[in-house]
Amino acid sequence: MNAEAIAISLDLINRHHQEPNRNRYESRYFWEELYSLVSTAGFSAIEMPYEPVWQFGGRSGVPFNRYCVNTKYGTAADFRAVLSASGVDRVIGITFDPNLFMRNGNLDFYFGASGHFANEALSHAADMGADYFAISPSPFYGRIAQYHPDLEGKTEAFTERTLALLGGLATKAQELGVTLVLRNEYWSLFGGMRILPLIDALPRTVKLDLDTASLFVAGVDASDFLKARIERIGSVHLTDTNFVDTHDVWKSPNPEYPRDHATQVFRDPGTGSVDFAAITALLGMLDYQGPIICSARQTRDPFRALLRTRALLNTFTT
Amino acid sequence: MPKIRYANMCHWKSIPYKKIDNFRQFYYEDNTNIAYYSDWDNILKYQSALGFDGIEIAPWDLADILPLFGSPENFTAFAKERGVEVIGMFHGAHASHAADHFDEAVRAGREAVDTIVRFGGTYMNTCPTQNYFGTGPLSREEVQQCAKVMNEIGRYATDHGVKLGLHNEFFCAINLPNHRELIESTDPRLVHYCIDTAQISILGEDLLTFYNDYHDRISTFHLKDTASANQPDSVRYAQDPEITDDGTRWFWEPGQGDLDFKGLYRLLKQHAFKGWMSIEYDGSPDMLASMAMTRYYLDNELRPIYD
Repeated sequence: MNAEAIAISLDLINRHHQEPNRNRYESRYFWEELYSLVSTAGFSAIEMPYEPVWQFGGRSGVPFNRYCVNTKYGTAADFRAVLSASGVDRVIGITFDPNLFMRNGNLDFYFGASGHFANEALSHAADMGADYFAISPSPFYGRIAQYHPDLEGKTEAFTERTLALLGGLATKAQELGVTLVLRNEYWSLFGGMRILPLIDALPRTVKLDLDTASLFVAGVDASDFLKARIERIGSVHLTDTNFVDTHDVWKSPNPEYPRDHATQVFRDPGTGSVDFAAITALLGMLDYQGPIICSARQTRDPFRALLRTRALLNTFTT
Repeated sequence: MPKIRYANMCHWKSIPYKKIDNFRQFYYEDNTNIAYYSDWDNILKYQSALGFDGIEIAPWDLADILPLFGSPENFTAFAKERGVEVIGMFHGAHASHAADHFDEAVRAGREAVDTIVRFGGTYMNTCPTQNYFGTGPLSREEVQQCAKVMNEIGRYATDHGVKLGLHNEFFCAINLPNHRELIESTDPRLVHYCIDTAQISILGEDLLTFYNDYHDRISTFHLKDTASANQPDSVRYAQDPEITDDGTRWFWEPGQGDLDFKGLYRLLKQHAFKGWMSIEYDGSPDMLASMAMTRYYLDNELRPIYD
């Protein structure tokens, strides 16, 4: 396994929650320095979240959607040139989750807005030269239940509409030469093994993501998951956690912040309980050649997390 | 009883917890200060301890507050237990200048009033339409349309015990050439004005002159400082000027910029202003420090002039 080829996700920057100094994350200067720090930490490829929220209200410093990129750089190609000049040669993938649009009881609004922006994000992924577009096929289960208390009775209809949305994206992804990948975060309506009926109903071109921490929280053995469906895995996220969900936190409205017991669900890679040596050895044994991305989501210090991640990766090659 | 009560406009980013019971354990997970900024219990206690008895929330807070607390009423009760009351909510009246958007703009405004009432608030500070870039310059008819929407929402707000206060940003389509025209086109019985001291100064209004001219329309303030008054059209009408590329701040804590707050307080005294005043810290890297810095400035520089 070539640790040098592993990408880092820019989800290590906390965009949404309070912490001192987080205001700098909304300005262009912060990101342009970050790219060179990412490169200095030994990463030449990045994954970028796609977040429509940054185009609302006239704030475009966070480069996480097409509007912001075009506002600050003109085109995706110009933005890629800036990345490249900082030592970041590739945007390997774009991620998208629809949580922003689960904000009322109107499912037409949810599917309309999610579909519109997911399509835009997929086009953006192609413009950025990304290998894959990884979509979370549902918002937080608990957030859906907040606005749709009868969710259990609506699950079939919700799934059908989700499949229609994903089917359209699959066709478009194939035309664009981007691999559509489904994520199965532990908090999703389609989390853990619940993703399987969804992926089985979609064309073979649609792939699955493997996220080590999410599977850990969902109580699914990542190695077994990988071995059983290696031919369908389209991306691998090396994420870490210590969190064991004993109280159905996955069903709560804010599942990455367990309400009865504050804890950091996602830990910096190498500081939690995920057995990275085992999973990377298995990836090598199975000759997995697809994208591998490290993620330090929820880190308390993104710059320390970059180096912690590099330190972990160094142990794979020595 | 003080004439002025002080609140904070909520610029905290999403606060993920209601109350952290395992604070020490949470701190020790990574030994950082994140634990100090992660629950409403402490955020509200910080406010209360520093003498800010009110909080003005923002509509973008609702997606997090409502799932966390279950209802506006629950949040209000939780805040009240910690000595803080919800005084109102900001509202953006998107596209209110567009005649074909009248029904939607009024509907959204009325919904916001209903939300404020559920929080127990009485102020709805309202940006009259969106950014200048891509929209301006507005025609006279569009300004009048904007006023029509404000009057209609203002009527509903008044009927429900809420004061609608126009709140202008320096980069909006309502800008220096039509700022006063809009105010004067609205019904003073229904539509009031929230002076954002920094925004109108950057816009090009003289703070003291503006307050003197419109003191009988002023419902409340967003008090913040600036060192960047009187920006040219090229800045105010630019695309997305609010967050600068190089980190330059438009807004500062009262006393850290150039505005004549002592002069303003003398005028507040002259016109016998009574009501809430929200302090705003947008752009601050450390809102707790900004709150404490502001409290010192208020107590030592401004409140001796008029309290």
